Amino acid sequence: MADPFKARAPFAPWDRRTLPGLFDVEETARRVGNYKWAEMKLFEALGGWVATVPELDVKMRLGTHCYHHAWHAELWHKRLPELREMNPDRLTVPANDAMVRFVEAMTEPEAPDQTIEKLTGVYRVFIPRFIAAYTYHLNGTSEITDAPTIRSLKLILQDEFDDWRDGEMILQSLIETPEEAARAASHQQKLESIMIEAGGIAGPGTLGGM
Amino acid sequence: MPVTVSPDTFTYVSFEAATIQRIADELVGALGLQDRIVTIAVDETSPLARTDMQIVDGAIAIRAASGAFEDTRKPRQQSETITATALGRVLLRASDRLDGGFGEAPPDEELSLAQVAAWETYCIGRLERLGVHVNRQRWLYNFRNRHGFTDAGDVAFDALWSSPGLTWAQLCAISESALANRAPAATSAPAQP
Amino acid sequence: MRKFLPVDDLARDERFAAITMKERFADQRTALNIDGAAQDKPRTKFRLTPERRDASDGARGLMHGIFVGEIQALEGAGRTCFDFETAGVAKTGTAATESSDMDVPFALKLDMARQCWDEARHVEISVKLSDWMGTEIGQYAENTVLFAAACSNDPVLRLAGVNRALEGLAIDVFTTMKEFGDLAGDPYLEFCEDWMLADEVTHVRMGSDWLRKVTEHDPERRKKALDFQGVVDKLFSYGGTRSDSDESPIGLARRFRSLAGFTDDEVEAINEVSIQALDERKARIAGARAAADHAPAG
Repeated sequence: MADPFKARAPFAPWDRRTLPGLFDVEETARRVGNYKWAEMKLFEALGGWVATVPELDVKMRLGTHCYHHAWHAELWHKRLPELREMNPDRLTVPANDAMVRFVEAMTEPEAPDQTIEKLTGVYRVFIPRFIAAYTYHLNGTSEITDAPTIRSLKLILQDEFDDWRDGEMILQSLIETPEEAARAASHQQKLESIMIEAGGIAGPGTLGGM
Repeated sequence: MPVTVSPDTFTYVSFEAATIQRIADELVGALGLQDRIVTIAVDETSPLARTDMQIVDGAIAIRAASGAFEDTRKPRQQSETITATALGRVLLRASDRLDGGFGEAPPDEELSLAQVAAWETYCIGRLERLGVHVNRQRWLYNFRNRHGFTDAGDVAFDALWSSPGLTWAQLCAISESALANRAPAATSAPAQP
Repeated sequence: MRKFLPVDDLARDERFAAITMKERFADQRTALNIDGAAQDKPRTKFRLTPERRDASDGARGLMHGIFVGEIQALEGAGRTCFDFETAGVAKTGTAATESSDMDVPFALKLDMARQCWDEARHVEISVKLSDWMGTEIGQYAENTVLFAAACSNDPVLRLAGVNRALEGLAIDVFTTMKEFGDLAGDPYLEFCEDWMLADEVTHVRMGSDWLRKVTEHDPERRKKALDFQGVVDKLFSYGGTRSDSDESPIGLARRFRSLAGFTDDEVEAINEVSIQALDERKARIAGARAAADHAPAG
């Protein structure tokens, strides 16, 4: 065994974590507040839609995914006080008014024959935007100073990828005609346009470039 | 001779006596019971799915509670498939008793729950081969409830289901082979009336 | 999407057939002893046990009832996530706006989302169990009374209706089915019902806790919620389907109800209301039959 008293580097040669990260405490809290608001709106919509979709498999999936996003909202809710925001509700806000309009447009479909529109909004627009925002945050934040956020991001991202795959596979199984494909594309285009205006889950700069 | 059904008209349920008669006539023909007197009395005040049968001087008297012919999706409406299954079971049991080989079978009300389930399985298997739509898993579940959830039980079920001709003694032997392998926790209480 | 979805708009595929309470009331058949004068006559036992001659079909029917009940419970919990605003959280724009009595705490919504997941699993389990028992999806009529009765526009009443009345009924049903599976030696039924039972006890406890917290300073609202629960409990005991009496297919699961936070007095009240519902059904059918007997022929 090596001499236990011999000086060793505090960071092993394979530990490539660095300082600083892209976001300070304040900016991290702002983003986390936006994430929480968006995850809340998503789990509320999924819960509300359960009763409106006739397809039994979709009903069960929405019920399951509803909880996943509620849990993400809870993780962000618990992170906020650790980021000096003692009143988590203060930062639980949409990134901007366009985000509010996006959620309104996404949750607009209700009729039982609009499952394609409902799932398109969630799995082809909203969840990919979550994946992008979280991945950018994960790649940009400091693995040393902000390890708690990174841990949450990794857990959440795993859910997002799994749920996206579930939803996309259900959509592919529901879309059987060119007309249905056009419906999905049209709804996606409509929602993407609003999301572009919003700039992403955390507003302009969600993916940097500001 | 044609089957007779009573009552002629129904008030508690939306059943047609003519429909019951038609289904029964077809089954009676398929089972070679045309020479028998067959009567069906429906107790429309009871929603139970119970059927009883008596053979008196070679005549078959069936009593059925209205639930035996009822569409479970649409309460108080009649289902032709369910009617055919219910009547087919009871007519096959009558046929077994009349054709021989079942002389030592106790009266229906004295059969144990396991014997009832074994005989039902034997009847429903033949009914399926006559072209009546049945859910095999339903009857397997029924058999397992009486004989245990074991591999030996399932083998016994298959034997009863696929057999074209059994005697009472053979049927009982198959049933007992399954019961012998049943877990001790299972119930063996006599049937309730 | 609208807030507060009417029960008639619950979405179902083509396999499902709905039955209304009005249709159920119109059914004047019964196998119960409704001869009020014949007190000495033995009551017919309908408790679902393996000794019943129609045990497997009875269990299949009840399992399908559980299946559609779980769908409605899933839908009810999901709607609670959506129908009510979250207290203190921005509804629109970038700042928290005015609050209302109808807003619910964030943590309550998280519990409802959790319940959604649990109920979704229960639907999955019910489908698998139905398959195992030889029942097809939609084989029995679906009564949407659970959703109709439980989904009030007041979140506190909804908690009382869904989490205490509906989920309380689920505790009774699962206990009956678990015991049935145990006695029959059915390894899947007993195993699955036990897992679902554990979840339902949690849901009832959730409802009891939130009801107490949300109405902590509003005894009048709490009383209103508990009164509403009493009404729903009676509706769910339709015709005495659930009570301590052997005439009821489903028993009252006193031990698990106690674990879920019901007091002995509360359970006794449910039993009384159920027996009352049983007697009322007998009287109603006897009355209807007597009236029909005395009606002029033709």
